[in-house]
Formats: sequence, structure tokens, C-alpha cells
Amino acid sequence: MSDAPDEMAIEVTGATRNYPGHVTALAGVDLSVGYGEMVAVTGPSGCGKSTLLHLLAAIDFPTAGTVVVAGRDLARLGDLSAYRRQEVGLVFQFHNLLPQLSALLNVELPMLGTHRSAHQRRDRARELLAAVDLEDCERRLPTELSGGERQRVAIARALANDPKILLADEPTGSLDSTSTARFLELLERLSQAGTTIVMVTHDSEVAAHAHRIIEMRDGRVVDERIAYVPAPTAASVSS
Amino acid sequence: MMAVVTLDVTSSGLEQSAAAIISVGKADFTVAQKGASDTLSSTIDESQLVQLRETRGVESVVGVLVETQRINANNPVFIEIGINPGDLTAFGVKLVAGHAYSSTAAHQVMLGWRAAANLGLHVGDRFNANGTWNTVVGLYSTGNAFGDAGAMFPLPAIQGYNRVPGIVTLAFVKVVPGQSVAKVAAHIDYAEPELTTIRTATQFGRADQNLVYLQAAVNGSTVLAILIGAVIIGNTMLLSLFERTREFGLLRAVGWTRRRTVGLLLGESLLLAFIGAGLGVALSFVVAVVLENLPALKGVLHPNFTEEAFWRALFTALVMTLVGALYPTTRAALLSPLKALSYE
Repeated sequence: MSDAPDEMAIEVTGATRNYPGHVTALAGVDLSVGYGEMVAVTGPSGCGKSTLLHLLAAIDFPTAGTVVVAGRDLARLGDLSAYRRQEVGLVFQFHNLLPQLSALLNVELPMLGTHRSAHQRRDRARELLAAVDLEDCERRLPTELSGGERQRVAIARALANDPKILLADEPTGSLDSTSTARFLELLERLSQAGTTIVMVTHDSEVAAHAHRIIEMRDGRVVDERIAYVPAPTAASVSS
Repeated sequence: MMAVVTLDVTSSGLEQSAAAIISVGKADFTVAQKGASDTLSSTIDESQLVQLRETRGVESVVGVLVETQRINANNPVFIEIGINPGDLTAFGVKLVAGHAYSSTAAHQVMLGWRAAANLGLHVGDRFNANGTWNTVVGLYSTGNAFGDAGAMFPLPAIQGYNRVPGIVTLAFVKVVPGQSVAKVAAHIDYAEPELTTIRTATQFGRADQNLVYLQAAVNGSTVLAILIGAVIIGNTMLLSLFERTREFGLLRAVGWTRRRTVGLLLGESLLLAFIGAGLGVALSFVVAVVLENLPALKGVLHPNFTEEAFWRALFTALVMTLVGALYPTTRAALLSPLKALSYE
């Protein structure tokens, strides 16, 4: 990854995504997100928020335009699996946990195929489940967890490989207010540690915790505003 | 898998039983009629034995007539060997009780020690064979289970019982020490086009077309089993892939490589195939034992369970799975993570 100071973590230029049947999900989106920035994407259903997230996660590709992450055009990446595994963490709107695996094994999934040993994978998964207050649920199957607990397992899974970019699609949709507050605290800590976060949400209170709010409509970015200016950290003061 | 292994071990058992005949005589090689439907149908004129004896490098030739007879329900296929008493030593026969019959003796028989034990007969007892009562004059041992489970009669007597005067089934040839067995056998093959020489069990098909057909049937059924099994495995894998499309999409979305995803699907299928193969081998053992003990097949069928049959079953399962997995794994590899995740 390039460390050029003027380089953005995410640079989306003219991204268009058309689907068969003349369906346009994105119609020329431009978006830049800096390193460590937390961005909330809001807008009505069907406005293209999730599609934008899918492009950033490299599980879908633009019909036109480019998506550049850390200086690399995703359409030209040779090893997409490594990008998905190591550089981004994706929290799905509907959790997408494997029903036959325990919470612990679900969190371990993205770590399979990495340099981590089985022991290290298990320790890391336990650490992440503890971070989302689910240390007592590691052996439970997804069907034995509440909606909120499942969402927290999905969040833990997204963080498994310490991604530089965290993408979250309605991450607090099934969380209660306490869990939502804890999740937002976690995001803030990650952001302060340098993780770039792009979060799709309908919840204006959740969006208000982001540094910047992007509003989308009909596949376009229609508004962009600063929502929250983080207090200067010790590191930023000293620099 | 069960059917393939059962066919395999029973045909191998039949081959072994048939091949045991050639090892009775402790000869360097055996001569039989070329292309006979089965070993016991081989016919060699005794005049041809004279020509064989005159072949350069041949030390001795023993002609024997081999017939089978039903003795009772426990011995539906009893082996009778017609051999001249003068050839008994050359044939590797050792007397263990009594004495040998004479060449002109009527109604005299020698029993193999196994046959005597099975039938509960001793020297001096009477034994009904070919509708005639014969006196057991001696018990013999050949060191071969097949030979020791039968009876020996003077050659003319057996030829008479079966109305085949001057005919033998097989000729057992010993080569002069120091001479090349292969060269002598090759010379006979060349000089006697109606006959064929057999030195190993694998050459048995030359004189036993039935074994050749049986082996072809086994090979054919193995190929058929692979094809049917591959279709079933492919279909099962495809169903599994459809049912778990979202799962595979998720695995790809969290960074699993195509190779790892395909490996998961293939690994599961191989595991199932090997469990199936194991169960098939176990079931084939049961079926073969049941077949072996059927009254109609008792004494005929001796399933030959070998390590090779087991490995062949595993290999068949492997090929079946790989062939069946070809299409489903290609589909799995080409799955788009997003399409797979939105699959209903």
C-alpha cells in the first residue's frame, strides 16, 4: 500500500453500475474517503448505497468508472481474494452467518488461508467475540442467537483480519440502543486507530457519529456534509 | 460399489480356482487346448502328448483328464482327475495312506486327504463316483488345496466313465534342467497351433475363454459403475451447490480463493465417496459370503478378498468422484460472490 500523504484511502470516480433490464443502480458516483475517516452513506431504499458498498468490497464491479482503494484500481487487481480477505471487512445487512457453524467458527472463516495457525485463529476469534460482548456465546449456532447477537458476530467476523477498510451495510439495524452505542464506540476506536469506515445506514443518529455524511438518491451523491469533527487525539496534536 | 467389488472378488476367486489346476502338477508349464471355453472343456488327443514328449528340452509330459461330479449337496462340484499310476510321482503326488491303484485296476480310487476328511472316508471304504462303487485304495497329498480336495482314478477309467477315450484335458510339462522354460514353451506354442502353454495364472485366459469374458464383464461393469456413480455424485454435488450457493458466495466474499472453495466441495464429496466405498466393500464381503454358501454355488465360488480389490474400490470411488465433480466444481469456481449471496 502506498503511503503518499495526498493519496485517499478510497477514490471512486464516475462509478456507474447498470444491471440487465435497464436498471441503473449507480449513475456516476464520485467519492473520496481519507485514511481513518468514518463516512456514513444515507438515502432511501434502492438509491444505490449497498451497490456502492459492494463495489468497494470488490464483490461487484462498475459498468463504467473506477474504484481505487489505497492507490490500486480494483478492476485491475490480480488477486481479489487477498484483497477481500486482508484489506476489507464487510458487515452484511442480513448477517450472512453460516448456520451450521458456531459463532466462533463463523468469526474464524476469513482467517482460513492466512498465515495464522489454528491456535492463533481461535485466540483471535475469541478476542473479537469478547470485543463485541459475546464471549459466552462462542459455541452457539446462529439459530441460537438473537438478531442483535448475530449482527455482533458478523461485525467480529468483518474485523477478523484487521482490515484497513471496514464496510458496513446497516450494521445497527438489528441492535438495541445499548449494543448500538457500544458498536459506535468500537467504530470510533477503529477510526482513531486508522481504519477507514464506510457505513450505510438509515438511522440519522447513527449517521451523526460519522465524520461525514454522504446522501444518495437515484444512484447519485446528492449531498455531502461534515457531521462530526473528532476531538484531536494526542497523536494529531503532537504532529 | 458393492456390485463392483463383489464381481471383482468372485471373478478373482474363480480365476484363482481355475489357475489352481495348473499348479497341481508341479510342472514347469501346462498345455491346454487353445481358446477352450473353460479349462475343463479343453481336449487334447493323447497322440499330441507323444509329440509334446518328443519336443526338444522336454523331460516329461503328464496327461490328465479333469472332470467334475456332484457328490452331494455339500460337494456339488467334486474334482476327479484321471492319471496313469506311472505318472503320479512326476505329477507330485505323495501317498499318505494305502497304496496307488494299478493302471488296469477297475473300480479303484485314490482320494485327496482333504476330500477324505470332508467325506469321512478311509482306505478300504467304498466311494460312489460316476454311478459306480469304487474302493478307496489310498490317500494322497499334492500340497495343493485344489488337488487335495478331489479324487484320482486310472486315466482309462475316467475316460471310460465320460466316454472320451484317448482324450486328456491338460498336459503338465517338465523341462530338462538347464533348459529355458520360456523357449520350450514358445516352441510348443509355435509347433502346436491348436494348443497353448500356460505358465502363470494371468495366461490362463488363453485356455479359458469364460474367464476372459468374466474379466471383461467385470471391467465393463466397473466402467458402468463409474459412469452411473459419477452422474449420481455430480447430481448430489450440484444439489448441494444449489442449496449452499449463498454459503459459497459468502466464503468468496470473505476472501476464500476459488481453489479453497472448490477444495471444500471436492473434499466433502471425496469423504462421502470413500465412506460409500468402505460401506460398499463391507457389504460386498457379506454378499460374497452369502453367494459362496448358496447351495447352487457351494464349492464353485471362493471369493478372493485381496488388498488389491480394496484399493481398486477406493480408486474407483476416486475416479467416480472426480468425474462427477467436474461440472459442479467448475460452477462453484465461477460463482460470482454477489450473485451467490443474493441467490434464493
